[in-house]
Amino acid sequence: MRDDQAGGDIQHGVPSIPLCAGSTLANRSGSRKTIRPIHQDMVAPCNAACPVGMDVEGAMNLLREGKVADARDLLLRENPMPAVTGRVCDHPCQTACNRASFDDAVNIHAVERMLGDLEPEVQAPVPARTRKEKVAVVGSGPAGLACAYHLARLGYAVDVFEAEPEPGGALRYGIPEYHLPREVLAREIERIRSQGVEIHRGVRVGGNLSWQELESHDAIFLASGARVNRPLELAGQDPADVRPGLEFLREAKAGDRGTVGRRVVVAGGTDTAVDCARTALRLGADPVVICQGTRADLSASTEAFDEAIREGVRFEFQVWPVAVQTSGHAEHEEAIDAIRAMYVEREGDRPRTRLAGVECVRMRAGEPGPSGERRSLPIQNSNFIIPADTLLTALGEEPDLGFLPSEITRKGYVVKVDEFGRTNHPGFFAGGDITGEARTVAHSLGSGKRAAIGIDRYLREKAGEPVAEADPQALRYGGTGNFSITRWRGDDPVQRSGEVNEVVPFERLNLAHFKSVPGKPDRHRSFEERRSSFAEANLGLTPNEALAEARRCFECGVCNQCELCLIFCPDIAIQRHPSGQGFSHSEQYCKGCGICVAECPRGAKVMTREGR
Amino acid sequence: MKQVIMGSQAVSWGVRLARAEVIAACPSMPQAQVVEELSELCASGELKARLIRVESEYSAMAACIGASSTGARTFTATSAQGLALMHEGLHRAAGARLPIVMADINRALAPDWTMWTEQNGSRSQRDTGWIQIHCESAQEVLDSTIQAFKLAEAVDLPVMVILDAFEPSHASEPVDIPEQAEVDAFLPRHAARSKLGKNELHAHGALAPPALTMEMRLRQQEAMAEALQALDAVDEEWGQRFVRRYGVIESYQTEDADLALVVSGTVASTARRVVDQLRANGEKVGLVKVRLFRPFPTTALREAFAGIPHVAVLDRNLSPGRSGIFAGETRAALYDLEPGKRPAIHGYIVGPGGRDVRPETIIECIARTREAAKNPTACEREDIWIGVRS
Repeated sequence: MRDDQAGGDIQHGVPSIPLCAGSTLANRSGSRKTIRPIHQDMVAPCNAACPVGMDVEGAMNLLREGKVADARDLLLRENPMPAVTGRVCDHPCQTACNRASFDDAVNIHAVERMLGDLEPEVQAPVPARTRKEKVAVVGSGPAGLACAYHLARLGYAVDVFEAEPEPGGALRYGIPEYHLPREVLAREIERIRSQGVEIHRGVRVGGNLSWQELESHDAIFLASGARVNRPLELAGQDPADVRPGLEFLREAKAGDRGTVGRRVVVAGGTDTAVDCARTALRLGADPVVICQGTRADLSASTEAFDEAIREGVRFEFQVWPVAVQTSGHAEHEEAIDAIRAMYVEREGDRPRTRLAGVECVRMRAGEPGPSGERRSLPIQNSNFIIPADTLLTALGEEPDLGFLPSEITRKGYVVKVDEFGRTNHPGFFAGGDITGEARTVAHSLGSGKRAAIGIDRYLREKAGEPVAEADPQALRYGGTGNFSITRWRGDDPVQRSGEVNEVVPFERLNLAHFKSVPGKPDRHRSFEERRSSFAEANLGLTPNEALAEARRCFECGVCNQCELCLIFCPDIAIQRHPSGQGFSHSEQYCKGCGICVAECPRGAKVMTREGR
Repeated sequence: MKQVIMGSQAVSWGVRLARAEVIAACPSMPQAQVVEELSELCASGELKARLIRVESEYSAMAACIGASSTGARTFTATSAQGLALMHEGLHRAAGARLPIVMADINRALAPDWTMWTEQNGSRSQRDTGWIQIHCESAQEVLDSTIQAFKLAEAVDLPVMVILDAFEPSHASEPVDIPEQAEVDAFLPRHAARSKLGKNELHAHGALAPPALTMEMRLRQQEAMAEALQALDAVDEEWGQRFVRRYGVIESYQTEDADLALVVSGTVASTARRVVDQLRANGEKVGLVKVRLFRPFPTTALREAFAGIPHVAVLDRNLSPGRSGIFAGETRAALYDLEPGKRPAIHGYIVGPGGRDVRPETIIECIARTREAAKNPTACEREDIWIGVRS
């Protein structure tokens, strides 16, 4: 205590109010500690869950700071087509979102879509061609385009060979217009081309392009997709009204709207099946999807299923077709066909018979097999007829591997590859649906990226350059997510300190610092409108709504300089880290109380024992 | 402006008129109404105070200590277990000389669980260094709350305004509510001697060696002595402005009395009626209402009892193993009077846990005192419990 004005008048040598006007800095409370806090940037669950391998949390952080273009560019580092994935991805990021355990998951895909749809203020520069090698990519679906995009950005010359007249693969021919408008796809492909990717259309390997020509490239990435419809064996005649669903989607996408009857039965539980039903609905049909298993056995995305139900698609579970019933033409149908024939060119003769109904049998779940899987078994004498004009089959697609060199090892009906997309044949890489990759756009984009990293590594090693030992786990977000090309390149624009490649669990967050704010679901076109139109069904969010969603992000595991630790520290022992990211703790004054660790809203701090 | 309000509302009115700046409290029965009303006043903007919601009374007191250290006019309210939970902070607030004002609505401490009145809550905080003012009516509660801020800020000590549970806390009475401008004139903005803030950096609660602590204790004691005078001055100014005066004690019909009751809180109203009734019958009975319990008004009591041979102290509290606390305090205050001038002190335990203290209860105390007066050593006896079921 000092004799000055602090604490009022002095009597008996002390002021009336017990105050010390001196400094407490002499009190080095840091000497008491046996444990200490350390700052560590961890991995948000969304990043680890993303099949593409995007820094979702990093983008949310940039959006919170108002850096919209930077957020977009951060996504574009890892994903060439956020406008596509923002629409078609089943967003495992949102399923993993910690916020879902608090109020609602952040609507990440709507934010991604908004960023993907942004008009670029300036044309992104074409990456410099720093590598002398050339890479060939077979197929311009999501896997092929992703691989080409990343390789171009790594400085390689890339030739993409597409057998179809237009690039996009499954994106163009497999996903209905109401789900992915063609102008969105066109913009995204343009974005990839602008990175120096050369796309050659109408070029079929083994057809008008020889393997010899292909092998003039230094590495080859095979991503020809899965286009062969799995057949459905049915008793009875095979009328033309029984058709592969994928073919139907392709025609509908091309604008030919006259190839479906009124009563449409779709067999299968795949995304293709749901897409077929929703497309048929829009063509005025009354579709019903029949599935061998239960609702839980559907491989289609939950969101697509829910939307289909809302639009009026019917689903029949544990029902399977065994035969078709045919009949002659009804008179009025013949007349319609005659008129149609005047406008629509068709090859060959139309069959004389038409589909009248699908004979189905009810199914039940059998006893679980050795793997725990229950096979569906038909119930005896449960046969019944579903009257139908068209039967679409959507049991899944298989790749056609017939064109591949025999040296490439298969595993079942797919090409065998490792984490880096390497086949057993040196210089040959593969990804997407011709490998065992999950059949989604996002997984294909992710596998294309992994192969791009694999090719980069292969070519550098081949050129005798020193290549750092690539630990696949370190490249993966949280050790289990997809590869990050930013990690491979080592040029992360996001500042990190004390990085730990572990996912931060919900329990580590301090929810006291968050207010409950309900999530904003996507806007949708009205059902009325949807039934008669192929206009995009999901309208996403407005830019402002999407920004508000981004602000709901907890930013799990990553310091965003909220400074709560600094405010709560009773010893004023916390300072900004010299790197500008995270905080450091004073050796002299931090007494290891752990308050900062407990208060950190996002689990970006832990206590450690002294001397470790 | 006269309004019919409850005692708890009288607290809120007092806090509002005193323009408290920070309120931190954790609602509990029967004090909850005070906090509820204050939170509504804060929400509506009628009271421009920062209301800090806390998870416990301990935190409430901690928040009050922080707020008061910055020079903010600070208020809290509590009852029974809540007050007990604040105990550590009560010492801290008084030792740091922070002029916090608290309303303590007297409730018996559990177990068994109870909501009814008893004075043991505030009595058990006797030695924490807080000024303690007992109130009899809703009007006195309102007036005392405003006075308490003035007193606290004059002597840099925290003040507890104490009222009994339900009567008056939940009993409606007509109360004269002063005009804001008049209260503003009585109680200007608080000019703290020390304000913790960005531009005034002091260490609070630093290590004090033995060379300093003793003097700090002495200054606390001196401030308490000062408070005794200060309350008189505050009360006098209040009387000039608002007519009503309360004093540190109130003597009623004691001038020619041969027996005086000592009461506190709401029981005083009943006792006053009993005195009137007995006086009408020719009995020379008076009463002393003790309003200020800490600092204890020793001199005032000695003067009030001059010439009165028998004093009956009614305690709605108990220091188990000793006696009623007012009785013990009164004995100690009068002990060194010359024999012959020192009245005999008769202690009675009445109405713990909210049991009614009826006129008959008080008449029984007086009758027993008269009986005991026949025995010259009566003042040394144990307290008598009135109304215990057989």
